[in-house]
Amino acid sequence: MAIAATLAVVAAGSAACGGGDDDAGGGNVTLTFWTHTHPPMIDLNKKLIAEYESKNPNVKIEYQTIPNTEFNTKMLTSLSTGSGPDIINMDDNALRGEYLPKRLLAELDPKAFGKSSVAEVEADYVPGTLDGAKDAEGKLFGVPSEFNGTAFAINTAHFKDAGLDPAQPPKTWQEVVDYGKKLNAAGHKQAFNFLYLHSGWYSQNFQTLANQTGGSIVSADGKTANLESEGTKEALRLWVELARTSGISDPKSSSRDATAPFQDLASGTQSMAIVYPWSMDQIKESNPDTYKNLAVVPLPQPTATSTPVNRVYGYFWAVNNASKQKAEAWKFISYLASQKERWLTDVSFVQPVKGWETSAPAKAMPFIDVIAQSYGTGKYDQVGPHWAEVQDTIRDAVDAAVFDGKPVDEALREANEAVQRSIG
Amino acid sequence: MTALSRPDQASPPAVNPRHRPSGAGTSRRRRVHGRDLLGALLSVPALALFAVFAIYPGLRVFYLSLFDYSLTAPPEFVGLDNFRFLATDPRFRETILNSIFYTVGTYLPALVLALLLALVLRRMTRGLGWIRLLYFLPVATSWVAIAVVWRLVLHPDGLLNQTLGLDVTWLTSSTSARWALVIMGVWKETGFFLILFLAGLARLPAEVHEAAMVDGANAWQRFWRVTFPLLKPITAICTIIAVIRGFQSFSPQVVLTDGAFGTEVVNQFVYKTAFESARMGRASAVAVLMFALLIAVTMVQLRVFRREDS
Repeated sequence: MAIAATLAVVAAGSAACGGGDDDAGGGNVTLTFWTHTHPPMIDLNKKLIAEYESKNPNVKIEYQTIPNTEFNTKMLTSLSTGSGPDIINMDDNALRGEYLPKRLLAELDPKAFGKSSVAEVEADYVPGTLDGAKDAEGKLFGVPSEFNGTAFAINTAHFKDAGLDPAQPPKTWQEVVDYGKKLNAAGHKQAFNFLYLHSGWYSQNFQTLANQTGGSIVSADGKTANLESEGTKEALRLWVELARTSGISDPKSSSRDATAPFQDLASGTQSMAIVYPWSMDQIKESNPDTYKNLAVVPLPQPTATSTPVNRVYGYFWAVNNASKQKAEAWKFISYLASQKERWLTDVSFVQPVKGWETSAPAKAMPFIDVIAQSYGTGKYDQVGPHWAEVQDTIRDAVDAAVFDGKPVDEALREANEAVQRSIG
Repeated sequence: MTALSRPDQASPPAVNPRHRPSGAGTSRRRRVHGRDLLGALLSVPALALFAVFAIYPGLRVFYLSLFDYSLTAPPEFVGLDNFRFLATDPRFRETILNSIFYTVGTYLPALVLALLLALVLRRMTRGLGWIRLLYFLPVATSWVAIAVVWRLVLHPDGLLNQTLGLDVTWLTSSTSARWALVIMGVWKETGFFLILFLAGLARLPAEVHEAAMVDGANAWQRFWRVTFPLLKPITAICTIIAVIRGFQSFSPQVVLTDGAFGTEVVNQFVYKTAFESARMGRASAVAVLMFALLIAVTMVQLRVFRREDS
């Protein structure tokens, strides 16, 4: 198996196909398009594909969804070997960490957007929100399909059971603990939990806290592991306090199914959670009764006087550099990106074009003020080469501290050595 | 019914094979050669596929283990650097130990259980087929499907804890996660070896047992001095297969724990190194080391069984 696994890649390398059918002459075009699995997004993608195909009878879109757990691996391997789809939809962590340094993507084609330059395309977006798809030289390689900022969901029914006022949500993590104890006393044993789904989720939760405590995973130049800095230690201490020491929930019984995140919040088992705009839409669809009781409030901070800091991330539509029909691919992306209001109303995906928060669909969306506020205080995650190894290391450190009770300093010392080996 | 020869049917002349007429011999040799040539030709497609999809990639893995290769840039020759890195890498060392733990923990009990069950079941005269089918069912089911079911069984409020009255967090503790995998592995793999042992027992000559009974040997003596030695060939095969299957383990770790809590095995390490981190050279080096390790272990096993045989 060990050999076979490696062989598969080698064999794949010699079988590069480079996307759909080649047709640069304006005849029939087949574009391939891969995304991860998020049911509301898939539904809208299918609708938009059908519309685009009917408006452009010479274009056929082959749409494929890949389970979340294998999405990154399959996409990276296929693009690295010169194959893969014409159009990808990928998060900024992967883009900045792997795809852009390896030159796997094509630069944005402004003509497809009816613009004469990339700067004109950029001018439509809220400053900074396209940074997730820019390389070190500032060149743009994609436009966002969704832009997310962290927020906090509370179950107002649970709050009322515990005699808490939902209009006064927790503003600090200490208040989360205090409220959690009252929720426990009222019979809600899973007051607050992080999501322990896979390394990527561990890493994003950890960076959310580290952003607030002034920690980081690697130094600014990306060359030195920084997990033993005081800010980073503080982030893990905070996690351990919330998940283990305070006793406000049992992380061991939290749902770990990566194909359906937020199950415990959606099922009404959990009272508070860190959420994103899309997660609320997912809960609305899967558990409408629970959704009615949920309120979205700003993410708690380390202290009441802390300057609010959130985590932001985006998924971007981009074109495979090996695609033989880049112009057609960008035209299709331009069509997807033009349906901003439908992305907002149907899927709760925010495309951060200027003035998005004042559009009619945005105003009709619940909690939109909280989401918009989080963008202003958001930070992108740190990333770097071989980031998957770094994420695994963070997962192991969190598991050791939270589940096995290993002292934070010791867990991070070991993790720091491992990260240094990965980036060194 | 005996076939009678018709009087008009001339029987072939008796021919001393040592003194065949030279013409007949040449023609037979030609026929044999022709048949060999046809056989060789017919096997060419299969051999070509084997060469392209097994031999070439295998050799390529050895070659790549000497390079730094990320798929997107040309491979860069680094000599033995990948092996040097692995020699001092704590994560690789841990995955080796995890693989050994899983292999020994799962397959030693599975082999013993399979042998004991085979000894019991071979005496059954009715319903053996159904029992065999039941034991083989987990073997025929995919690892992924079984691991998904066992994730529910091993949940803190799952069947295992409830049945045994335990309060163990099987999948979220570095102490118990590895044992959870072992328990599931024993449950799944015992049936495979049971079938092999039943086949081995069915081939043992009954006279030897009868002779031992006549000589007054008790059940344990008959097993230890007669059955077990005669089962050595099948035991050797089972042991070799067990070691290979143990070190090849991948799916149960991926589905149950994703390699967390000290359960990452070598194959998972290869997969992650190659496909998630795009370090093809390093992943190839691990594959080469595992290949060498498995060859060495198999040779030792064969030697041990051969020595005991002689």
